[in-house]
Amino acid sequence: MSTIILWLLVLLFAGAFAAQVATRVRLIAAAPNTFSVDDLGARGRRFLVDVVFQRQTIAERPAAGLAHAFVFWGFVAFGGYTVTEFLHGLGIADLTGTRWFYTYRLVLTPLAIAVLAGIVFLLIRRAFVRPVALGDHVSLESIAIGLFISTLMITFLLSWRLDESSLAGRINWWTHLLVILAFLALIPASKHFHLVLSPITVFLKSIELGRVPNLDFEKEQVGLETVKDLGSKAVLDAFTCVECGRCQVNCPAWGAGKALNPKKVILQTQDALLAGKRETKLGEIYSEEVLWQCTTCGACENQCPVGIEHLPLIIGSRRGLVSNGDAPEYLGGVYNHLERRGNIWGLSYDQRQKFVESAALETFDPARHDVLIWLGCAGAFEADFQKSLRSLFEILRGRGVRFGVLSKERCNGDPAKRTGNEYMFQELANGNIEDLKAAGAKKIVTSCPHCVKTIGADYRHFGYQVEIVHSAVFVEELTRGLLGAAAGETVTYHDPCYLARYGGKVDEPRELLSRFGAAVREPIRNRENPYCCGAGGGLLFADKEEEPGSRISDVRFTQLRETGASTVVTACPFCSIMLKGAQSTAGTDLQFVDLMTFVNGRLSKS
Amino acid sequence: MILCIAEQRGGKLNRASWETVAAAQQLAAGQPVTVMVAGTNLQSVAAELAAGQVQEVITVENAALEPYTPDGYTAALKSAIEQMSPAFVLLPHTYQTRDFAPKLAARMNRAILTDVTAIKQAGGETAFVRPMFQGKLTADVVPQGPSPHFVTIQIGAYRADQAARSSSAAPIRALPVTLNATEVRQKPEPPFQEARQAVDLSQAERIVSVGRGIKEQANIPIAQKLAEALGAELAASRPICDAGWLPMERQVGSSGQTVAPKLYLALGISGAIQHLVGMKGSSVIVAINKDPDAPIFEVADFGIVGDLFEIVPALTNALKE
Repeated sequence: MSTIILWLLVLLFAGAFAAQVATRVRLIAAAPNTFSVDDLGARGRRFLVDVVFQRQTIAERPAAGLAHAFVFWGFVAFGGYTVTEFLHGLGIADLTGTRWFYTYRLVLTPLAIAVLAGIVFLLIRRAFVRPVALGDHVSLESIAIGLFISTLMITFLLSWRLDESSLAGRINWWTHLLVILAFLALIPASKHFHLVLSPITVFLKSIELGRVPNLDFEKEQVGLETVKDLGSKAVLDAFTCVECGRCQVNCPAWGAGKALNPKKVILQTQDALLAGKRETKLGEIYSEEVLWQCTTCGACENQCPVGIEHLPLIIGSRRGLVSNGDAPEYLGGVYNHLERRGNIWGLSYDQRQKFVESAALETFDPARHDVLIWLGCAGAFEADFQKSLRSLFEILRGRGVRFGVLSKERCNGDPAKRTGNEYMFQELANGNIEDLKAAGAKKIVTSCPHCVKTIGADYRHFGYQVEIVHSAVFVEELTRGLLGAAAGETVTYHDPCYLARYGGKVDEPRELLSRFGAAVREPIRNRENPYCCGAGGGLLFADKEEEPGSRISDVRFTQLRETGASTVVTACPFCSIMLKGAQSTAGTDLQFVDLMTFVNGRLSKS
Repeated sequence: MILCIAEQRGGKLNRASWETVAAAQQLAAGQPVTVMVAGTNLQSVAAELAAGQVQEVITVENAALEPYTPDGYTAALKSAIEQMSPAFVLLPHTYQTRDFAPKLAARMNRAILTDVTAIKQAGGETAFVRPMFQGKLTADVVPQGPSPHFVTIQIGAYRADQAARSSSAAPIRALPVTLNATEVRQKPEPPFQEARQAVDLSQAERIVSVGRGIKEQANIPIAQKLAEALGAELAASRPICDAGWLPMERQVGSSGQTVAPKLYLALGISGAIQHLVGMKGSSVIVAINKDPDAPIFEVADFGIVGDLFEIVPALTNALKE
């Protein structure tokens, strides 16, 4: 009798599970295929580290992450137990009396205690501590799931004490199995679907942070306009989201009180997909305002423990807007400048030439020069950054490095790429690639992290590969063994997103600073997870006071000031522009110095 | 006969109209120049135009011309021009002209030359100079086909004060035109007002702009007095507006307004790139700054390294004398 009842229940709940999963799988299958499994080795390694060992989950929130890891490992370990009990209950096979099963249960017991401790900790955190990342109100469903897991563990532990044939034992056994079945039915429609999907999503996530594949204009691709344009990975992402809010709390726009919340963007995608809004414009789903507040700093995507890629979604939606002429007004000017002058400022290239002449720069010749220096649009036009480049030139000359520059440069295309003007990006990229190839550049050094990322990573997808390094990395290697003036000055260092998060270069700048006598006082949000200055994603020119919330640059400036250091060292021209702007508003007198100027100053003193 | 079409809005003459009159007088070389203005309530505008050395001022009054619509202007001006049969029709290259002039020329099946910067006589022919390829080249263009030829004159190409004035007022004549209100298909909404921007710095001819070098709000009047003496608008860089010392609408730069005055006087502005991109189009940039290394001097035509609190009052006094 009980076997038949269990059969009916299993079919009912498994059916409910399957039906809900099918809806989601159909939505994923209906989307344009954007799955990619290139670089299997790297994907396998990441799977091991982030799924099996839960690195990403633990790294940012060690306590909650570890509690989660226990629950996760327990879940995996309990898989065989659950299957065995169901096989028994359904009258298929009875392995419960075996020596093997007894040993298995013995091994599971400490794990059950660990899971119970973990889930109780997480329940208390969710219900009473209530971190802001988890949303405004307590999710009853999450509480229910937490209680389910607790019940599973308690019933398992009780099974040692209760005789299975007694009434209490039967009730305990049924409770355990019923909770599993209820859990099964609850999973697909809740954030707990991540326990099915996230291993897949993590595996499928691009190895390269912020990978936004080029559009193919031959195929009339224009970017993401409506919900039906969302690729299969984006749809999978939407159903994988576990709503932990790491993206949210790390987002500089959200941190500055703006409307953008990356977690909300993913959940809105999920809602729109389930509501069948295939034809609705993405600008309506997320609001255009939100889409233009992203600095493309990459924090959301980089911190996500379940493999969600926010950048292709946001930049893809921007592309859809731009191709329909719906870019914000300030970008019109930037695009005009890029198109007519080849730089974001709209300045004439005579000014670059003036700088090239006054700094006595030679035109690059592979026969005579070791490296090509890429000035970038800030290097070509921005007076403060030019000072830093002059410092770099002095360092290189002092160490006997022979270098030259291109006779002509255009913007690398970063602002066009990140704001979704793909056509302009490809024009600029192709032009630069042609020039770099013609010049015979083998190794490029630049002081602009955006140039490093775009030329080094994005140009690869045009089939152009060149070694490009940031000046911090190049000079660190160049000055090894040298000792600078021992000064003991206290500075703080602002990691540029495109150097640290995208490029992973966090040790070289610090090594240079300490080598040349500075004590670095770390700000909050440093190293691989810095807080953006607010300039990225084409927002350099959008830094308006009237927007809701404060300026991202003001928020970051305050964080840097709170270190108490009197000098802020920067390594990106745009960070420098934004933070100096914030300082001029704050009316304080911190020193801003570019890393190269700092190093050169110390070198020439010693 | 050369016909100039002046532009007015709400009874106020667009100053570019005089630039067009100056161009017409050069082109005319003795031929009569006639000025035409369209709209409603044109008496004062017509009287203002009558001061110019022109044969007559023609008013085209019709209720259907207010507010401006391209359909209304095209129909009314076509009718008026056909009654006048001029050799050339000159217009200032304003936004309004850009809106209706191509349509008007097409309606009359006549040639139109836009954004002309100069008029040349070459080999007995009149050539009009206009920029091509984003201003990288200029072309001398001789219009062909039956007259009248339409020519729009780039703003600033001729100087309004070059337009010859006459001691006696030219006669004013009202020209009746046939204009059926049903021909006007557009229904204009109230003109767009950018966030109640009371100050439109982009139109200012002279701007005195203050930066952090002004030190405190109490010092703003020093710059204000100079602006008054120069007949200039007062503007500022970002920190001044952020601090609320001057309203946001007076901010110049990438997060404020983009300006291109004939004279931009930067007082105590270091010249951060976001500021520079907002004012680099100014014809003459004068910078006063204590720091000789300030980036503003990179773009300045004239630079004074010194204390603005000494220089500015002296400059103001000199201007007043």
